[in-house]
Amino acid sequence: MSNIDLIRMGIKNLWRRKLRTFLTVLGVIIGTSSIVVMLSLGFGLTQGFQDQISQWGDLTTINVYQRWVDPSMPSKDQVKLDDNAVAAFKAIPHVIAVSPTIETYGTVINGRYIAQVPIKGIDPDVMAEFGFEVAEGRLLNNSDELTVVFGGGMQHNFWDPKARVWREPKINLMKDRMSLTLNPNYGYEQPGQKTPNYKEYKIKTAGVLVEGNWETDYGIYMPIKVVQQLIKDKEKAENQKPQKGNNNESQYQRINVKVDDMKNVQDVQETIKNMGHEAYSLNDQLESMKQTAGIIQAVLGGIGAISLLVAAIGITNTMVMSIYERTKEIGVMKVIGASLKDIKRLFLFEAALIGLLGGILGICFSYLLSFIINHFGSSFLGNFFGTGGESKISIIPIWLIFAAMAFSALIGIISGYYPARRAMNLSALEAIRTE
Amino acid sequence: MDDLIVLKNLRKVYKMGDEKIIALNSIDLNIKRNEFVCLLGTSGSGKSTLLNMMAGLEKPTKGEIIINGHHLEKMNETQLTKFRQLNIGFVFQSYNLIPTLSAMENVSLGLTFKGVPKAKRDKMAKEMLENVGLGNRLHHKPSEMSGGQQQRVSIARAFVGKPKIVFADEPTGNLDTKTTFEVMDLITGMARENNQTLIIVTHDNEISSYAHRVVYIRDGNIEKITHNQIITEGEKTK
Repeated sequence: MSNIDLIRMGIKNLWRRKLRTFLTVLGVIIGTSSIVVMLSLGFGLTQGFQDQISQWGDLTTINVYQRWVDPSMPSKDQVKLDDNAVAAFKAIPHVIAVSPTIETYGTVINGRYIAQVPIKGIDPDVMAEFGFEVAEGRLLNNSDELTVVFGGGMQHNFWDPKARVWREPKINLMKDRMSLTLNPNYGYEQPGQKTPNYKEYKIKTAGVLVEGNWETDYGIYMPIKVVQQLIKDKEKAENQKPQKGNNNESQYQRINVKVDDMKNVQDVQETIKNMGHEAYSLNDQLESMKQTAGIIQAVLGGIGAISLLVAAIGITNTMVMSIYERTKEIGVMKVIGASLKDIKRLFLFEAALIGLLGGILGICFSYLLSFIINHFGSSFLGNFFGTGGESKISIIPIWLIFAAMAFSALIGIISGYYPARRAMNLSALEAIRTE
Repeated sequence: MDDLIVLKNLRKVYKMGDEKIIALNSIDLNIKRNEFVCLLGTSGSGKSTLLNMMAGLEKPTKGEIIINGHHLEKMNETQLTKFRQLNIGFVFQSYNLIPTLSAMENVSLGLTFKGVPKAKRDKMAKEMLENVGLGNRLHHKPSEMSGGQQQRVSIARAFVGKPKIVFADEPTGNLDTKTTFEVMDLITGMARENNQTLIIVTHDNEISSYAHRVVYIRDGNIEKITHNQIITEGEKTK
């Protein structure tokens, strides 16, 4: 029996009992869509966590610190964060950029407004690779000296130290003339207190970053060489001798490592840790959140699976009933030349078709449900899951569509296996005698 | 004419609880190619059991069934199905048409299992139905036809694959006298035309007069075998 005849005959058999086929398919629709929707909630949850964490900073950046070593221990174990380390990190596979970072604090002065900010020194060459994006202006380049890029949220961080009530200052970061001092008490000098003679630098604005990243919103960026010079000036003003070790020119407080893909972050981080550094990334948090989301998803999927199990029993029931009704027909088919394989294939095909049909319609139905949940449910469900109103609650990945279709067809075949065997093993002679 | 079917010491015993029922005691019978044999007996004589065993639908308890050199009693279910598909046509008393299929679909069903493409089997089925005089009933369902018409569809189904042997189990049992002759003329005519071997089970003496040989069966044994003068169709219907 050719495949095309098998398909034709199978469809005809299902069509001839429309209502029953429809009801069985309905069972599969409910089963498939409950699994798909439940899983989509899990995916939404994972995505929500990810969105949330990516607000905290870049997920593909690893921050490397010096490992703290007990000062009483011999210091030969101390691994230095110097240019050698930078070169070593660059050599790790999947690393696309490495930037040493040093950080100090200072005050930006804009007329009567001031802002106390962290000053972050960064290698201008790799800013773009680290995912910095400007809302206005441009990123830093190598020829910049006293030029800054403002964090996305800096607009809101200026205030008038003499005003009694805080009001959003009207300033233009791109155009206003501003200066920078490393005086930690600028604007708050106590009368009579002797203040070291800090320099005040005139600064130019290169650009302002896009707002919405918790890591970069607050702070200003300058080329690392410039920041190193600022720190030296400050130490000079305070009459400090350069500290041994830590603030030594060749050493950095922190090195940022940018990895090509989120899935490689873990490996690169391990490699760096094995080199004797302390490494931290937002991925650490993401991993544990993903685990939580995974458990929730498994539970939800399990609940969905129960309805698909019920639907599978429904398919078996329908096919067994069908055999009872068609006993005589099966007998006739056997006598006039249907092979055992033909009979088995016919019943398996019918069961698989019920499964597949239910799977396809179930996915359509899932999309509808998913749309409704995202559209109407985000206001209260979003808060419940803690993902915020922005991200979707229910996400159906493309692969899930095909997986669900294949799975429902497979469920159909499994459910149809027993009935098909039963039909196959019917004695032709007895079957033909049944009325 | 050589022997197409050879039965040797064939025995069939049914077990009903502790009781044994001997359906066939010991049958030895040879049937020649192109022969028309009638198995005649009362109900319960074992004639239907004998037919079913020759068609490979039942296994003998003992003995041999050799058709065209093949031992049926040694075949498994799959081999038997294949054998039936290629060599055997079947006509039943109660027609056994599939009620949801049209006359043409019923006739072409066996060809479907053989793997004949649709266009070809539709053509064969149509020709066959025209041969049995149902050219105007191609797309009727069995429920829309009379008993005689249904049996003719059933005959078309049995002959459409040009099997070597056609078995008929009381093919006229549900028909009136006039239709009986029509149907018998049709079956014998077709078998003769295609050089097929025809084996009919009946309890009707009228029908047995069509056959070359009549095998009388009684209580699971062959009681006697008679040879008939061959009567042509024309003479019979007069």
